Amino acid sequence: MFTMTLLTTTLQPATLLTPQTLPIPHVDPLPLPGPVWLFTALLLVVFTLHVIAMNSALGGGLWTLWNYLLGRHSDHPYSRRLANELSQMLPTFLAFTVTLGVAALLFVQVLFGNFLYTSSILIGSLWLAVIPLVMVAYYGFYYFSYTAEQGKGIAGCVLAISVCVLLCIAFILVNNMTLMLSPARWLAMYRAHPNGWNLNLCDHSVIPRYLHIVNGAIAVFSAILAQFGMRKLKADAEYGRWLVQRAALVFAACTGLQFLLGMWLLLAIPRDIAMLLLRDPLAGSVFGLALISVISSMLLILLGSLSPKPAPLVNAGFAISLVTLFLMVSLRYLLRMAYLRPYLHLEALAVRPQVGVIAIFLLLFVGGLATVGYMLWLVSRGAKTRVRTTVTN
Amino acid sequence: MNYPHWQLPVPGGMLIALVAVLHVFVSHFAVGGGFFLVVTETIARKNNDVTLLDYCRRQSKFFALLTLVFGAISGVGIWFTIGLVSPEATSSLIHAFVWAWAIEWVFFFVEIAAAILYYRTWDSIPARDHLIIGWIYFVAAWMSLFIINGILTFMLTPGRWITTQNFWDGMFNPTFMPSLVARTAVSFILAGIFGYITLPKREGREQVSRWAAMWMLAGGLMLPVSLWWYFSRIPLFSQLYMNGVLTGVRHALRGGIGFTLLALAIALICGIWKPRWMRPPVVAVLIVCGLGMIGAGEYLREFVRKPWVINQVIYANDIRASEVDALQAKGVSHTANFLLTNDSASPAYGKNLFQLQCGSCHAEEGYRGMRKRVDGWDAAFAADILQHIHVLRGTMPPYAGDEQDRKALGRYLASLNPPWQFNITDANRLEIGEKVFSARCGHCHTVNGKYRPLRGTFEKATPSQVQEVFPALSAMSSNMPEFSAPDDQAQALAFYISHEANLPLAHPPAASEMPTGSSHSQLIRPAQPSQEVR
Repeated sequence: MFTMTLLTTTLQPATLLTPQTLPIPHVDPLPLPGPVWLFTALLLVVFTLHVIAMNSALGGGLWTLWNYLLGRHSDHPYSRRLANELSQMLPTFLAFTVTLGVAALLFVQVLFGNFLYTSSILIGSLWLAVIPLVMVAYYGFYYFSYTAEQGKGIAGCVLAISVCVLLCIAFILVNNMTLMLSPARWLAMYRAHPNGWNLNLCDHSVIPRYLHIVNGAIAVFSAILAQFGMRKLKADAEYGRWLVQRAALVFAACTGLQFLLGMWLLLAIPRDIAMLLLRDPLAGSVFGLALISVISSMLLILLGSLSPKPAPLVNAGFAISLVTLFLMVSLRYLLRMAYLRPYLHLEALAVRPQVGVIAIFLLLFVGGLATVGYMLWLVSRGAKTRVRTTVTN
Repeated sequence: MNYPHWQLPVPGGMLIALVAVLHVFVSHFAVGGGFFLVVTETIARKNNDVTLLDYCRRQSKFFALLTLVFGAISGVGIWFTIGLVSPEATSSLIHAFVWAWAIEWVFFFVEIAAAILYYRTWDSIPARDHLIIGWIYFVAAWMSLFIINGILTFMLTPGRWITTQNFWDGMFNPTFMPSLVARTAVSFILAGIFGYITLPKREGREQVSRWAAMWMLAGGLMLPVSLWWYFSRIPLFSQLYMNGVLTGVRHALRGGIGFTLLALAIALICGIWKPRWMRPPVVAVLIVCGLGMIGAGEYLREFVRKPWVINQVIYANDIRASEVDALQAKGVSHTANFLLTNDSASPAYGKNLFQLQCGSCHAEEGYRGMRKRVDGWDAAFAADILQHIHVLRGTMPPYAGDEQDRKALGRYLASLNPPWQFNITDANRLEIGEKVFSARCGHCHTVNGKYRPLRGTFEKATPSQVQEVFPALSAMSSNMPEFSAPDDQAQALAFYISHEANLPLAHPPAASEMPTGSSHSQLIRPAQPSQEVR
């Protein structure tokens, strides 16, 4: 019934429309129920956590698929073992990708709702398709976790479908997140296809941004995997070293590629916004720090993987890679603010903080984290007890 | 008018309903089912009952696969859907309750972590620790329900929030508690129903069957009391919708009661009395009953809020009550951000107005389809009806546009059907008159029925005397449209009214008799902003 059309044709040029005449929905008449800085801080924190989980699900899915196929066809024992181990983690990674994504979606709606709702409606059919697609990927991961060990049947195909579906979801999200920054395109796009079958491909930054995110996911998960390999060193030194070295190599390769993709992205975003970003003291500092930290983490993990005692270097590299991730998330936020500067003035929004509820939330947030920590402690205590019992017997 | 309207082949409200019903079905099971699991495990461990423990293990796998994936993701699906269909209302709810949602998210996070750990650690941690995780899951899941319940009930009964805009007034609104008890009861029933999915095939079958039935019956006992409490606290206009006049509400009420009673009867007969009868087909019927019960409940909850999506704040078509005056004064073309065309003379403009103003509940065809409803209308009549639509039909929001907009939408509605042309003879005059009556008068009147009967006005009147009244209709009542039918149809209509009004009445009109013309007609005017809403 619908024909999917990618809007690559010329749309109404932004120069004809001023920020005053653009059809940007007005902000909600209710005041913000908390200070902007608090929503921003929460958004940055939960979005960073979401990206870590997402990188684990997507990067982990790609790593698992690669090693599953390698292990199956070349009968490489470590690849097969790694695929089996990762298969048990993938559903959990995806569970937390969604859970943390929900929080990010909540806070982004408070600050940028009028932009996000509009862009979501413009790609509405694809945006809603994210929901069944996540379910397909999720059930696929569960299916793979039950069948990976046997290594037979359609397990590999199911995993491949799940990974492809995750790649599609990432593409839809990138389209939405870029479209919300471009009000000048909205009306023409809506009039062309009001049924929500649009993509934002006329934005030249979509493809490099998408590749940057996917490649970044592989890189970050490789850093996580290097950590995972470190934990395996004690029990099985050869397997652990194999894993650390392979993860470090992929991490370094992806990080190198990330530089190229980052440059492409920087060239693809409008020049005035790119310059604004680079000339802004805060954005420039974050950008500079991110560059330093990403190079540091790459070198540390790579050198650590070659060292006879990899722990200090790999651990440090991993910690710095997480810092890099937070810096990149912050840079993304500053880039968004640079895009929306003509249309949105967060500092001018009416604010009426719900102080009591905010306090309850913060207390419960800490309590929630403590509860999850307590449950993990119960589980790890149980696992240690079990290992001791097995050894004694 | 603020946001673009996502064009769908079905009304947006139906899409929300579909996603919501499926999500509510599973998410309530996620609450009750978690409680069911941890209580059952506690009993099994206390009695060292290996069979029952084995059942818990199997049930926890099913539970995790259904609630963690479908339940959790469909919940996000509701967010996505309401943001697409009602962005204005979603934005307001987010602004009013973002911290409630943030708190709910904390519980959701704990709930997901606990569910994963509970399902994966049956053999790897001590029994006591496993039970602790199970209890943490249940508390987190129920607290999640507790908070979402506050936001959902706020939409119908905002209570003092309307004047204070205080978070706590909105959250702990008049229907908060009864709704919370009712939802908890429903979660118990669903825990029992889904408990049969992994029923042991041989050993322990009777024990688990009876145990699950007890949960259903416990929920079944709580439900009527909590619903009575809930319905006693909803606004007056919502209570009036429940009086059985509205066909949809009547069917939903009967269906909901029927599905619930059938499920409870199956629990008694096949669950407790003859557990061996609890075979997969019976379990399938139980699941259908559960889905029907949830579907009916959600339909009623949504319907009794009409014409609002947030009572007294935002109408069902996502237009703010505070914006209606400006829209009526300035017109949509000068107010809306995203119109497909600004040419108010073009047919596309009328269609676009229909999508903007009516698209959340109506489409051209299908459920609540407009084509059949406006058959026989001309453009002037349709435009006139629109002016009074919220008075003539209390479930409808007021028309938000200027005169030009009304005319454009009227032209569009009239264009959905070819104009009526009749060759009227003595033989078919009565039949055609009835048809014209259905199209032009039957949405609000009967001749001899209970609702706005015309018999009192036209008894003993001749057709020509009836027809003489037509040109003065709008002068008689400001809510009556101008009479604009062609002469031949006017004559047939007058003939029909005169004929019916002079028929001897064999029996008084039945209480449930509906005005002709629309099976969904109802004539109750809901509370407007100035009226008290509890």
